[in-house]
Amino acid sequence: MAKIKLPAPPSNPLVSPKRPGKKYGPSGPLEHAEEGAVSAVGWIDERTSLSGGLRWMMFRKVPKGTNWFYTLGSSTMFAFLSQAVTGVFLAMYYDPSATRAYQSIQFINNEVFLGEFVHAMHRWGSSVMVILIFLHMGRTFFFGAYKYPRELNWVIGVALLVMTMTMSFSGYLLPFDQRSYWATIVGVNINGTGPLVGPYLSEFLRAGPYFGATTLSRFYAIHMLLVPGAIAALMGFHLYLVAKLGTTAPPWIRAKAPEALREEKIPGDS
Amino acid sequence: MNKKQKEQYLRDYGTLKAQGKPFFPYAVAKDSAMAVIVMIVIITMSILLGAELGPKADPTSTTYTPRPEWYFFFLFELLRVIKPPALVPLATIGVPTICLILLFLLPFYDRGPERRPERRPIATTAGIFVVFAIGYLTYLGAAAGPPTEIDIPVPANVRTQGTTAVANFKAGEQVVAQSGCAACHKFGENGNSGPGPSLTRVGARLPAQAIQRTLINPTAPMPSFSSLSEESPKQFQQMVGFLAALK
Amino acid sequence: MAERKEPKSKYTLDRQTPGAFEGETVTRRRVMVVAGQAAGGVAAAAFVLPALGFAMGPIFEKQDQPWQSVGKVDEFTDESYVPRTITLVEGIGDAGKSTVYIRKYNPDLDTEPRDEYNSYIAISTLCMHLGCPVRFTAAAQRFICPCHGGVYDIVGKVNGGPPVRPLDRFYTRLVNNAVLIGPRFSVNSELRRFSPRDPGEPLDGVGQYLYPSRPSMRKIQGT
Repeated sequence: MAKIKLPAPPSNPLVSPKRPGKKYGPSGPLEHAEEGAVSAVGWIDERTSLSGGLRWMMFRKVPKGTNWFYTLGSSTMFAFLSQAVTGVFLAMYYDPSATRAYQSIQFINNEVFLGEFVHAMHRWGSSVMVILIFLHMGRTFFFGAYKYPRELNWVIGVALLVMTMTMSFSGYLLPFDQRSYWATIVGVNINGTGPLVGPYLSEFLRAGPYFGATTLSRFYAIHMLLVPGAIAALMGFHLYLVAKLGTTAPPWIRAKAPEALREEKIPGDS
Repeated sequence: MNKKQKEQYLRDYGTLKAQGKPFFPYAVAKDSAMAVIVMIVIITMSILLGAELGPKADPTSTTYTPRPEWYFFFLFELLRVIKPPALVPLATIGVPTICLILLFLLPFYDRGPERRPERRPIATTAGIFVVFAIGYLTYLGAAAGPPTEIDIPVPANVRTQGTTAVANFKAGEQVVAQSGCAACHKFGENGNSGPGPSLTRVGARLPAQAIQRTLINPTAPMPSFSSLSEESPKQFQQMVGFLAALK
Repeated sequence: MAERKEPKSKYTLDRQTPGAFEGETVTRRRVMVVAGQAAGGVAAAAFVLPALGFAMGPIFEKQDQPWQSVGKVDEFTDESYVPRTITLVEGIGDAGKSTVYIRKYNPDLDTEPRDEYNSYIAISTLCMHLGCPVRFTAAAQRFICPCHGGVYDIVGKVNGGPPVRPLDRFYTRLVNNAVLIGPRFSVNSELRRFSPRDPGEPLDGVGQYLYPSRPSMRKIQGT
């Protein structure tokens, strides 16, 4: 058992001792600035102890054989971040009302500086994110990476896939062109075909028996608050489990014990 | 996986991990490079393809052909493939829900310790099958045109008869398309496969006379085109000529 | 058989629960745990329930469907359909409109009994598979859906493809030589009237119970 440790004020791990032969204390404005930055980070770390978690996350080892397939997950997350940022800026000009939505998108496309570019990034970013999440799932499936001990992370991943598809679906009503409108009508009616609860579910999505005044703002709230919030939360949990359990090695890589241990084979155990 | 296999896996994984490299900066460098590639792809697509807006939503339209975004084509095609009305809930809710439950529970029914794809024949085959099924449905969904459009290459025997024959063929194609024949009949790649028979090769089966008779006195539920033959005999003859030329 | 267990005493002291006290039946720890959870539950319910009710409110609101004129009697024939635009939802401009196909009741085609609401037949243009816009093709005398292959005959009954019931209709009425369009209703394959359902919800057999009518829209009583 470890000895009981008395709490001591933590020393700042980022401030390294001075090199021998140097004068005590900073000299020159550059060293003063460096000193200031280091002590600011140290001040935060003394109160939050975040450096431990950061070190745990960043300096964990990834197994031998980790290759480019293992970047699909992080690039899906990156595409999500791009969607989040472009989405926030689109929201500054967009008006979720049945009478003005189309005009506001026209305004974004034609009048706003870089408007069509940001709109296009959001639109094609959704396609890229859908492709990446499917590739990431395919990699996980074919590498058998969903097996023990990572079952829960697979389940979370499938939930994230469903939510990504929900995002794409709730997103394409918003420009309010013909494709948006009819795809939403069909999508809502698909929900309505569930027995018993279906009729109420479709009515809930439409906020009434017909496509009405608040249908668009309902989809807008789902698209920019409800689902992205859930995606961000689940993504955090997904990442935590990845860091805790470690990423898998490619299945064809065999573990070879170090030389010293190899002789200690138990007889009869092949 | 039993307890021993679990321990074996954790031991092997520990060894591999010990022989690996730190996440920062090795894996982070790869991730960042990939992020740059993703961003380049998104920006290139945005500049090349733009964010074109379709015509404004119009619920009174009766001529618009709704199609979803490309990544929903496989679900869209599923709805087209499953025809009987009694199976509609299966196509809309049933099949997607079952697939989703199977996907969610995958690690709970596939519990073998083997991870190499070539040693998991069932899982790998099933995975490849699903990928191809989704790809095929997506292709079919993307290729599905509205039932008021028919686009068939002009047959060789029509082309040899000269330009008037080709023009007549094209005019007949137009009449057939606008009359909605493709709602119940298949014309090559176009149209719905049912309830009517495929007309891709109807000219080889029936002479023009028989086609004309059928159009005027059809068997239910096919409608009669006798009113068309009375009101505009030219269009009716173009229709018959087009169908007879399909060989 | 094992010996029957002595019934447990209701006093915590007899059961030797940690933290037991003379004459108690529940430990104070247990009371605190239950009270804490109950208070948390009440607090959470206090914001979740009103918010949910707020979001679900429209399901239970009855929607007004005023009668609207679509033209004079002599604009419609009993042989073919005339399209007319009506307003389903007020105040959202074109997004609240819809197209309706109208023709006069024709005893040669229509089998349902005449009453005050069907001297003119008004057919909705939403496909009863999943709600795509159907179009009446005069040459074929068919309603054709561009999405998943639905085809309907001239009275709106399903001819082929996946639609689950005939096209929806609207009540019509004659006032001073003008045709008025009223609320929507759904029909089963025998053209019997039902409260309006969404597309994709069959009304034959057990369908009408599996897909119940909703409080927001009802057919006219007694029709």
